[in-house]
Amino acid sequence: MIQTIAFYLFATLVIASAALTIVARNPVHSVLWLILSFFNAAGLMVLVGAEFIAMLLVIVYVGAVAVLFLFVVMMLDIDFAELRAGYAQYLPFGVLLVLVLSAEMIFAVSAWSAGGIALSASVAPVPEGVPNIEALGTLIYTRYLFIFEGAGLVLLVAMIGAIVLTHRTRSGTRPQNVSQQVKRRPQDAVRKIDQPVGQGMDL
Amino acid sequence: MSNTASLLLTLPELILSVGSLALLMVAAFVGDSATRAVTWASAALLGVAALAALFPANGGGLAFDGLYHADAFSAFAKLLIYIAAAVSVVVAPRFFERAAPLRAEYPILILLSSIGMGMMVSAGDMLTLYVGLELQSLAAYVLASFMRRDSRSAEAGLKYFVLGALASGILLYGISLVYGFTGTTLFSGVARAFGDGLSTGELFGLVFVMAGLAFKISAVPFHMWTPDVYEGAPTPVTAFFASAPKVAAMALLVRVAVEAMGPASSAWQQIVIFSALASTILGGVAAIGQTNIKRLLAYSSINNVGFALFGLVAGTAEGVAAVMTYMAVYVAMTLGSFLCVLQMRNAAGEPIETIESLSGLSRTRPALAAAFAMFMFSLAGIPPLFGFWPKFLVFDAVVGVGLWPLAMVGIATSVIGAFYYLKIVKTMYFDEPAPAYAPVTSYTEGTLIAVSALFVSPLGYLAIPALGAASLAAARSLF
Amino acid sequence: MTAFFANYLGYDAGWFVATIIGILLIALPLMLAVAMIIYADRKIWAAMALRRGPNVVGPFGLLQSFADGLKVFLKETIIPSSANRGLFLIAPIITFTVALLAWAVIPFGPGMVLANVNVGLLYILAISSLGVYGIILAGWASNSKYPFYSAIRAAAQMVSYEVSIGFVLVTVVLWAGTFNLSGIIEAQRAHIFGFINGFAFNPLLFPMAVVFLISSMAETGRTPFDLTEAESELVAGYQTEYSSMSFALFWLGEYGNVLLMCALNAILFWGGWLPPVDWAPLYLVPGIFWFFGKILFFFFVMSWIKATVPRYRYDQLMRLGWKIFLPISLFWIFLVSGYLMLTRYGV
Repeated sequence: MIQTIAFYLFATLVIASAALTIVARNPVHSVLWLILSFFNAAGLMVLVGAEFIAMLLVIVYVGAVAVLFLFVVMMLDIDFAELRAGYAQYLPFGVLLVLVLSAEMIFAVSAWSAGGIALSASVAPVPEGVPNIEALGTLIYTRYLFIFEGAGLVLLVAMIGAIVLTHRTRSGTRPQNVSQQVKRRPQDAVRKIDQPVGQGMDL
Repeated sequence: MSNTASLLLTLPELILSVGSLALLMVAAFVGDSATRAVTWASAALLGVAALAALFPANGGGLAFDGLYHADAFSAFAKLLIYIAAAVSVVVAPRFFERAAPLRAEYPILILLSSIGMGMMVSAGDMLTLYVGLELQSLAAYVLASFMRRDSRSAEAGLKYFVLGALASGILLYGISLVYGFTGTTLFSGVARAFGDGLSTGELFGLVFVMAGLAFKISAVPFHMWTPDVYEGAPTPVTAFFASAPKVAAMALLVRVAVEAMGPASSAWQQIVIFSALASTILGGVAAIGQTNIKRLLAYSSINNVGFALFGLVAGTAEGVAAVMTYMAVYVAMTLGSFLCVLQMRNAAGEPIETIESLSGLSRTRPALAAAFAMFMFSLAGIPPLFGFWPKFLVFDAVVGVGLWPLAMVGIATSVIGAFYYLKIVKTMYFDEPAPAYAPVTSYTEGTLIAVSALFVSPLGYLAIPALGAASLAAARSLF
Repeated sequence: MTAFFANYLGYDAGWFVATIIGILLIALPLMLAVAMIIYADRKIWAAMALRRGPNVVGPFGLLQSFADGLKVFLKETIIPSSANRGLFLIAPIITFTVALLAWAVIPFGPGMVLANVNVGLLYILAISSLGVYGIILAGWASNSKYPFYSAIRAAAQMVSYEVSIGFVLVTVVLWAGTFNLSGIIEAQRAHIFGFINGFAFNPLLFPMAVVFLISSMAETGRTPFDLTEAESELVAGYQTEYSSMSFALFWLGEYGNVLLMCALNAILFWGGWLPPVDWAPLYLVPGIFWFFGKILFFFFVMSWIKATVPRYRYDQLMRLGWKIFLPISLFWIFLVSGYLMLTRYGV
């Protein structure tokens, strides 16, 4: 019963916060609703026993991606009036998208109920008593090793790309020179003198 | 099969990955002064990888339970890809040196992109396909906007990125549908499921996958990005886009169509027929009004991809062999044309891209004009030149399966296409001379132009036995 | 406990009651501990500065924190007129709640854990990554420039140090072979020479223990990493516009996080509720005492550092995170996994 309650709680919150993501007028609020939605999706993942995915969802999406996203949105200077002015203009396009999406959903649901999707029959059985981190790990590092490493390269390319396209050497900064700081000794910087009264300082 | 044996089969990708990572370290720690060394080392790495692809361990086979194929088809495609990539690497330094020294990331990005293309042509699973495609595309987006201070280059990168991401989304949506309805992402498993009759869901998946791949080969109706990206990207990058990724995406499309969706060929045949016809017609007609040579070559590539697709329409081993031959010759023609475009620079060394500036080139630079004319005639498929041969093979394959009306229409469209190629030749040979270009200073480029011109000249017919045998062996490995 | 209540109430209701009681058993003493730890912090700090610290309210000033708590409780909650009301109020609640949430998986002694989940360590990582939202929201919703600067600093700082913390955790997990915190503690039993408990005594893991200790200070925004509330630059950072209970919630959440990080240091590297040495008489002392002793020790270390070390500059902070800790911890994963491959798994 607890599971049922938890499922309906999480599911309702996912849908409600997803809806609010779209409806919210302030983009920062939108992002926050999106985060809530991610968080509840992670809850659903826990319920189906995919605790590893659930934690990753929170760590990666909520903890890192959404933070940066929020960061960007907070910095934006958005004219809301102008945003809404385009509403009528894009309405036909939006309606078209709604139609396509709803057609797809109806199609998918009807295929599901017609037995067109027999995923449970063809997926590999879940081994009993193996935590899903281990189950995932054994697959990723053996059979899918090549693709996994390929995905790593994709991320590397993204990083190189970001650096190539945005990095510039700025002049006028005073970066820390650690070795210089460490090498510096008191006698290089400090001088003890017995200053006689009435005479000029020797700087 | 053990992991070690599997890894040995992926040797070309391993060589490129380890090499590019090492070169990246060199580039990061030595800085831009290492660019020259990194450039040549990258070209050498591509050569080694090509050797590894030609002679796979244990004579090739499946690696990682069918996720990766090391067969004659992938070896053929990889050879083309690596050659094209190496050419785009070695011609770059001179183009970029004008604004600022070329940064060492350029050859490294090309290497990484080549890894992705290798994964694409060797894919035996939707996952390999997708990861390879993303690796290739992501590097390409960065390359397109490599001259970040140039607004056109930045625009090209952004357009390519947004549209490419959309195409990836479409492709991924198709893959997820196929996975959902067949329960597997392996090509062999998908083919088995398609063999039991095509459900509506599978059909939707097929259409989306085809659409996503059509974007990558820039076939109509997913070609819109091509002219803008080709025009805005730096010319060596455009040469790269027009050659290597085209081959990779075309080989990938062929492999998916034959290996994964072979049993549903009647379903995708119509799509490919439409796309092939539309590409040849639009590529031919839209190119006529162009004044920028890079845009014109973009439409030319759309046009040529259309012709190559005719080979796929046939769906036979001969048809696929024709596609591969077409791609081989196309790579030579298009690289040659872009190498000629690279020579188009005014006295100050600034690159010029207008077709007007080619006027009377035969009088100021006769050799360059002759080479350029040869590439143009060859792209048009005019008989004595080698460009005619693959077109002939393609239509031969189409006629071979009894689709002769289609072949007739195809030949008619090639006549439309010939018009604008001839217009360039006319500009070069019969118009009053425009101010002369800056003299050639690079022997590398001159040699490369000469080699590719020789290949597309009637002398290229000498390569037919070898090329034909190789492409037929490649095609046979799919069936 | 669940079984006890399930006998009387049926499974579902019994589970529910038992869990609620478990939560209260952790949260209420934690609040008390936070109050006392604030007092301890001030005392240690004062002692190092040759001052007396709080000594008026109650014997030795022990009740100072409660007096402070009562004071803020009685003050008016001021909401700036141009602030985003909802988010302004919810930000301290998030900080406080998140600080409490992570304690659910902390084992206080053998079997003394509210939720003994497989992915305990990942859960902690997930929850601690949520902590940054309280600060970002506070900074943004205040609609004031210093809090906003602070929020941006906090976000960058926490994301940066979470990366190296994550890698440090991976080395621990590699050695322990589990993400379960009780499992990690058990794996440290008789770890070195067959009788010393704790990963930190392992020469391969000791550098990671140091990195983790420093990163945990950065993660909680303690001096020398308190850039988010650097009073000389940012007034009071994200807390600038807060008053009364909302301010107190930040305060409680912050110290709750500090205690959590001390507990994590104890659990991951210093043997949690195990005595330092695997010697039978030491096990006569209940595990929870060892655990609390270790927490207090690390808290003392943090206070000590707070009292003696000047604040980092922002670029130095980023440099330490990205250019030193990240490569070191990344290299250490390579080292540790290589060592384990050679010794434990025989290549």
